[in-house]
Amino acid sequence: MSDNRYNSGIMEKNGADFANEFFAEENQVVHESDKVVLVLMKSDEIDAIVEDIILKEGVEINPTIVVEDRTGFWWIKANGKIEVNVADAAALLGKNYSIYDFLVNVSSTIGRAYTLGETFTITSELMGLDRKLVDVS
Amino acid sequence: MPISAATKAATDAHALHRAPASVSPQEVHKWMQSFNWEFSKNKTKYPTKYHMANDTKEQFKLIAKEYARMESAKDERQFGTLLDGMTRLGAGNRMHPKWGETMKVASNFLEVGEYNAIAASAMLWDSATAAEQKNGYLAQVMDEIRHTNQCAFVNHYYSKHYHDPAGHNDARRTRAIGPLWKGMKRVFADGFISGDAVECSINLQLVGEACFTNPLIVAITEWASANGDEITPTVFLSIETDELRHMANGYQTVVSIANDPAAQKYLNTDLNNAFWTQQKYFTPVLGMLFEYGSKFKVEPWVKTWNRWVYEDWGGIWIGRLGKYGVQSPPSLRDAKQDAYWAHHDLALIAYALWPTGFFRLALPDQEEMQWFEANYPGWYDHYGKIYEEWKALGCEDPKSGFIPFQWLLKNGHEVYVDRVSQVPFCPSLSKSAGSLRIHEYNGRKYSFSDDWGERMWLTEPERYECQSIFEQYDGRELSEIIAEGHGLRSDGKTLIGQPHVRGTDLWTLEDVRRAGVVCSDPLKRH
Repeated sequence: MSDNRYNSGIMEKNGADFANEFFAEENQVVHESDKVVLVLMKSDEIDAIVEDIILKEGVEINPTIVVEDRTGFWWIKANGKIEVNVADAAALLGKNYSIYDFLVNVSSTIGRAYTLGETFTITSELMGLDRKLVDVS
Repeated sequence: MPISAATKAATDAHALHRAPASVSPQEVHKWMQSFNWEFSKNKTKYPTKYHMANDTKEQFKLIAKEYARMESAKDERQFGTLLDGMTRLGAGNRMHPKWGETMKVASNFLEVGEYNAIAASAMLWDSATAAEQKNGYLAQVMDEIRHTNQCAFVNHYYSKHYHDPAGHNDARRTRAIGPLWKGMKRVFADGFISGDAVECSINLQLVGEACFTNPLIVAITEWASANGDEITPTVFLSIETDELRHMANGYQTVVSIANDPAAQKYLNTDLNNAFWTQQKYFTPVLGMLFEYGSKFKVEPWVKTWNRWVYEDWGGIWIGRLGKYGVQSPPSLRDAKQDAYWAHHDLALIAYALWPTGFFRLALPDQEEMQWFEANYPGWYDHYGKIYEEWKALGCEDPKSGFIPFQWLLKNGHEVYVDRVSQVPFCPSLSKSAGSLRIHEYNGRKYSFSDDWGERMWLTEPERYECQSIFEQYDGRELSEIIAEGHGLRSDGKTLIGQPHVRGTDLWTLEDVRRAGVVCSDPLKRH
């Protein structure tokens, strides 16, 4: 079972068991994480992208990707980074679909999100500090 | 037909140097950068103790045309859904009534936050020296205007379609008497727009948006859906599609000061103050709205908080910045205590003071009490028994003459207001972090509930001038206060707030008068 699930680790515990871990001394400071979270608002385009791109090619590239249905949105968590190429999405959808069309339904990101050409990336890297943000060549 | 030499020359030149059929928006974005001018000697009305570097980037490479097209698509989808399909399905009146009341608070309060964020991001636009950073802030100004309208529209839509519109319409008129309003102004207004510009960015973008919009605007949609509300997910998830750029703006603000020696001195204190300021209000209020303002529970609020605030914001944002000197907020331990208990404390006080609200509250039923006890062991003995006693005393019945605030006072449970956060607290019943402490300054007494707010007040006592309702209305009878503070429905006698969500047995001003509750400032007894 992946530890990237919505209810993994401490979240599987209940009542006093949850409280014991929540208040444990080692959990009174933040712990660095290399994970990223992407929240996609459901729509015709996004549902297709999740099913046919993120859950297929995306998971092949990064097997830590977990996608969960949270009613109005898809909640996606992974180690390292998640990338979506909108040229692939356009081919799948059969219409013009740019990075800005994709952003219409990107509801939240935890990590450093950026665009470059036709690629949307959410990464645990500290963009602008660890690595420069660049423009299209 | 022969062509002229000039036409031939033009045709040949075009064949050799073809103009592009189209230019991608990101190429335009790159080209636009050649129009930058020197901002390094930027003069701003809103200075900061930090030096903001002028080579910071905007992470999404926005240009005006694509920004406008993108936002237009969002609005067309959202308003199209609401005004067409949702209306035809009667979606505006299909949520559980407890949740319908929760949205009176959530959307009205978020509207105020969005309104103040317009000014905050405009202020940052003025302060920044990097052209791209200014670009990001400017888009945020326009986003916040959109969000202000969206929040107002949620309440407008509910006003038209929900069976109890009072409170969805014109809630702000009750702002003088509602104890939750002033704390909301502290986080959503003062925290965003007063003081050092970068400190405001940390409050608004790095903490308010990167941390608390996830439970406030994303997780809330799960609760909304579970309780039959399709309006809120449609609007709030659309709002959040702009928030990722705002989070990036906050992160780039930190990038812009990362190499400034002032960051080594001030950043961790500013981050801790911002985290405490925001969590002190959002943690109890969101937990109360989700758990007490719903019939169908998604998960315990403390788990929502653990996921979005502690693990993800703490680990992915703050933890990753550790190698650049950013430390875990020292107030985290107390914040976790609050995440577990503070919303239960606040819900008890909110119910005790229900006549001052602009929404209806309901007592937890037996099933809900079992849920609370299963998820917060010890809840029933501490809180559940009080609710049962209040119910037995007739707190829901307008003929009873009993308002739970009377029970608190009679049993020695004084309610104070924390001067810095403006959050009400009851020291003798509180399980949140902190305790009562009182300071005297310029001949007046002030109450505080925790170390972190007390420390902020000791640093800047003149900043926190907002009076509590107990100081403001000391000696006044409660029905007078409600009438004066516009807490009545359009018939001029029935209260907007009610201690249940039924359509009958509504309390009137006369019922409150008969209870004989007099407001008094607890600090006068010290």
